[in-house]
Amino acid sequence: MEILSVTGPASIQDLGRFDQYRFGVGTSGAMDEVALRAGNILLGNDENAAAIEIPMMPFKLRFGRDMAFALTGAGVEAEIAGRPIPPWWRSHARAGDVLTIKAMSRGARLYLAVGGGIDVPMILGSRSTQFRGEFGGWHGRPLQAGDTLPCASSTAAIDELGIEPADITLARPDAAADQTIVRVVIAGEYDAFDAATQALFWSGRWKITPQSNRYGYRLQGPDMKPKAPVEKRSHGIVPGVIQIPPNGQPIIQMRDAQTSGGYPKIATVIRADLWRVGQARLGSELRFEQTAYTDALAAEAEMSTYLDRLRTNVRLVEELRACR
Amino acid sequence: MPIEISHIERLAQILSRSGVDAIEIEEPGLTLKLVVDTGNRTAASATLAAADAPVTHRSIIAKADVAGQFLAAHPWQDKPFVSPGQRIEDGAMVGLVKVGLLYAPVVAPAAGTIDAVIAETGAMVGYGTPIARIRELN
Repeated sequence: MEILSVTGPASIQDLGRFDQYRFGVGTSGAMDEVALRAGNILLGNDENAAAIEIPMMPFKLRFGRDMAFALTGAGVEAEIAGRPIPPWWRSHARAGDVLTIKAMSRGARLYLAVGGGIDVPMILGSRSTQFRGEFGGWHGRPLQAGDTLPCASSTAAIDELGIEPADITLARPDAAADQTIVRVVIAGEYDAFDAATQALFWSGRWKITPQSNRYGYRLQGPDMKPKAPVEKRSHGIVPGVIQIPPNGQPIIQMRDAQTSGGYPKIATVIRADLWRVGQARLGSELRFEQTAYTDALAAEAEMSTYLDRLRTNVRLVEELRACR
Repeated sequence: MPIEISHIERLAQILSRSGVDAIEIEEPGLTLKLVVDTGNRTAASATLAAADAPVTHRSIIAKADVAGQFLAAHPWQDKPFVSPGQRIEDGAMVGLVKVGLLYAPVVAPAAGTIDAVIAETGAMVGYGTPIARIRELN
C-alpha cells in the first residue's frame, strides 16, 4: 500500500521492543497499546502485528491489493472508496481503493492495522520505529508520501464489524470534557517535595504543552520545586515515569523516552492508564490521582478483561459463521 | 439444512462463554432463538410501528441480522447514520446492533431514499427486525 499524503510523524509500531533495555534501547511501540491490540484482534492478527500510528490528519493511502483493515484509537472522519468508516471498525478494501482520513475529533492517535500486519523487518525483536536510533519500522523514520509499505499476506475477505471503544467500556468517572484523569503511584523522590508542593501536584490541572510527543509530554501548571535541589546520577527510568526537572514543570516519559535519566521522579503513571495519556490531546488537561499498587493491578486486570471479552466476542462471530 | 442438536449445544456454550445474552438464527422454514437466562431481563422487540402509514412507493426494509441493542448513531457520534430523505447506496450502513462489545452493522439491501428509521435507539431487536424503510429509486 502506498502513502499518498501524511501530516506529522506517522510511524510503524507494534507492541514494542522489550529485550534491549539493558543496552539503552527504549521500548518504542504503540502509544495506545489497547487500540493496537483491539485492531489486531478485529483482524484475527497476532496482537503484536505492526500497524501505522497516525498522530495528525489529514492522511491518505492507496491499497495495492484486496485487503482487510481496521481503524482503532482516535475518533476520526474516515472514508474508504467514498464509504464512511465508523470508529473502531474493520472493513475491506479492494486493490486501488483510497483510504482518506480527515478530521480527528477525539483522541490523539489513530491506528491503521491491516490483515496479517505490516511486514517490515524485525529489528532487535520488534517492528517498531525507533526514532532516536533511526532503525526499525520503515527505514527508522516517519512515513512520507510515496512510501510503499509491504504487507504480510492477507486473510480471506471479512465482514464489516465494529467494537466498543476502550474509553467507553473502561470509562473513568468524574472526567470533565478535555480533561483526562490519570492514576499514578508515587515514585522515589516524592518525599523530596514538601506537603504543600505534593498537594499542588494532586490538585493541579496540568496542561499538555505543544512540546509533547512520543518521547514525552511536557506539562504546564503549578510550580513544583523540591525542598532542596535534588541531584541524582542517571538511573533507569521507564515510560510513565513523571520527572520534575529544575524548571518545576513535570515531564511524563512516553514510549520513545530515554532509558535513563537523573531528574527527581515524583510519580509513575500506572500501565492501565498509559494508553489514556497516549490519547490525550495537546492543549487538553491532565489531573493526577494517587493510586495504591493493588488498585493499579486491579485496573490492569480490568483492562485485560476488556481485551479478553473482545477476543471472545470477535471469535464468536467467526464461529457462528462457521456454524451456519 | 436443519440445525442439529449438537450445533445448538455448541451455540449455547459459545454464548455462555462470551457473555452474550441472546442469539436468533433464521433460515428458510425455521427460527432458532437462544436466550441465556440471567434473571431480570427485559427483551422487547421493536415492532413495525410505521407499517400502517400509507405507502405509495415501493418500499424495501433494512433488517437486523443479529439480536442485540439497536443504535441509530455510533456512541461517539451525534449524527445518526441516516436520516429521512437521505439518498443512500446499496449496502450503506443505516445503524448498528450492539451485541456484547460488538457493533454489527445494519445495511441497506438496495439503493434508495430513507423513508423512516423504524427502530428506536436502545431498543432490543432480533434477527429480521425491521430497522429502516427505504423508498426504492424508480
